[in-house]
Amino acid sequence: MNLPANDLLPCSAGIGLRAPHYREVLDTLPALGWVEVHNENFFGGGAPLRTLLKVREHYPVSLHGVGMGLASTAPLNEQHLSALQRLCDAVQPVAISEHLCWNSADGFVVNDLLPFPYTMEALSHVARRIDRVQEKLGRQLLVENLSSYLSFAQSEMTEGEFLAELVRRTGCGILFDVENLYVNVCNLGVDARAFIDVIPHEAVKEYHLAGYSVCDGCLVDTHNHPVYPEVWALYEYVLQHIGPRPTLIEWDSDIPALPVLLAEAAKAQLRMDGCHE
Amino acid sequence: MSDLNQTLSLFARAIVSGEAVSTEIIAAYPNYSCDTAIEVYRNNYRGNLHDALACAYPVIVQLVGDDFFRFLAKKYIEYNQSSSTNMHDYGAVMANFLADFEPVRQLPYLPDMARLEWACHVAYYADDRVPLSLESLAQIPAARYADLVLQTAGQVIRSSFPVAAIWQAHQSAMSEDFHLDLSDGPGIFLVSRRDCFVEVSELSVSDADWLQRIQSGQSLGAATMETIERYPDFDLQAALLNLLACAALTSFSLETTT
Repeated sequence: MNLPANDLLPCSAGIGLRAPHYREVLDTLPALGWVEVHNENFFGGGAPLRTLLKVREHYPVSLHGVGMGLASTAPLNEQHLSALQRLCDAVQPVAISEHLCWNSADGFVVNDLLPFPYTMEALSHVARRIDRVQEKLGRQLLVENLSSYLSFAQSEMTEGEFLAELVRRTGCGILFDVENLYVNVCNLGVDARAFIDVIPHEAVKEYHLAGYSVCDGCLVDTHNHPVYPEVWALYEYVLQHIGPRPTLIEWDSDIPALPVLLAEAAKAQLRMDGCHE
Repeated sequence: MSDLNQTLSLFARAIVSGEAVSTEIIAAYPNYSCDTAIEVYRNNYRGNLHDALACAYPVIVQLVGDDFFRFLAKKYIEYNQSSSTNMHDYGAVMANFLADFEPVRQLPYLPDMARLEWACHVAYYADDRVPLSLESLAQIPAARYADLVLQTAGQVIRSSFPVAAIWQAHQSAMSEDFHLDLSDGPGIFLVSRRDCFVEVSELSVSDADWLQRIQSGQSLGAATMETIERYPDFDLQAALLNLLACAALTSFSLETTT
């Protein structure tokens, strides 16, 4: 599929913009390359959309989905897709992304980002659904690697190989969540270098960084903490091997004061500035 | 059933219904057991739905406190599986759940508060609609008024308790020295959204009767006649002005007379 390139994101640091900071960001207009929001919070009209359109007057906005369920075996939710299309028309986002995960199968809905076995069957299935999303939106979708707490014995390839093949088949881009990869390294013994080597670097359009928490030996992707030194180190390695890309700080629970978030973004910016491709 | 669907179905059952997962499906990990992994997903599932409920029912959270709300949400989640991938859809039947929930028997107004809060939640996330204006209504020839079929936004809530006053008292802008007598009596309220703002306003019994007839699809003529029959004092013009001001009327069509 020949899709408009997704290079509108400024190659600088941004933050995930959440409700507690809407007012302050609009009042103080801090220096920020761009912001990212969760699609589903803006699917209606009213105050949320109005606020986002005001934000859009000052910052490039990236739309990040948590509910599409690209790997779900329930039929692709066309209502959800239409709502996303309306949102895109209104906001004109600089990027649109979704997670490589599922949330609905066999009559069950699990409102979470769930892993699935990386099989040839899943590959055709997910590729068809990405095709449909890109066709409907008329533009490239960025697909984000997942943080996982378990993996499947049936997997026939790694997540990195799966993503690389999705890019080849659908022309989608990659949103590389560096913290998610770190979580998988610790939890599942994933080989970080192999992941970084196998994904097509030119398809990587954005990075995510966040903090995790630890539960009974398992790293949980809670986005409630500053970025850990180990994740900064992996980010630096990624910058050296893939190059600088627009980088987002995500913080979704125990959300701190805005300056804390901005300071995290500044740390990412510093590392991007110090990186020579 | 495809292999993928079968695997996802087993995984979903493990999370939602607490069924065991076959270790043939799930690989082993260096630092924790498979049970721990599944438990993390179960906690996420319940935690996300709890947060969705707390977001939809902020006044109930204040009324019962965080800890009791967590218990209440846990029970609600146990009996009400999620059915929408949009989390803002979760929690629609809280009012009915609370009506049968023994531990809140002493708070008889809670189900009505849930009805009111859900109506506010739905209004907040509703699509933008341009409210009907007096000017556009004025263009209808008077002879056709009776055939008007009005589309509405907003929901009528009837309660034996002053839930709107309780709701108002728990909006952050309100002062704290608020006293309320539950015997203040019943009320009828309209939940609507004017521009970006969700509003709860009181409705007279006749205005509410008329609006609900309009919402059930009756034409303006039929609804007005039947409302006047029950409430001879009903003032159509005042009701229209009031509902237009609340942005509760959105568009109209003309019933074709046969």
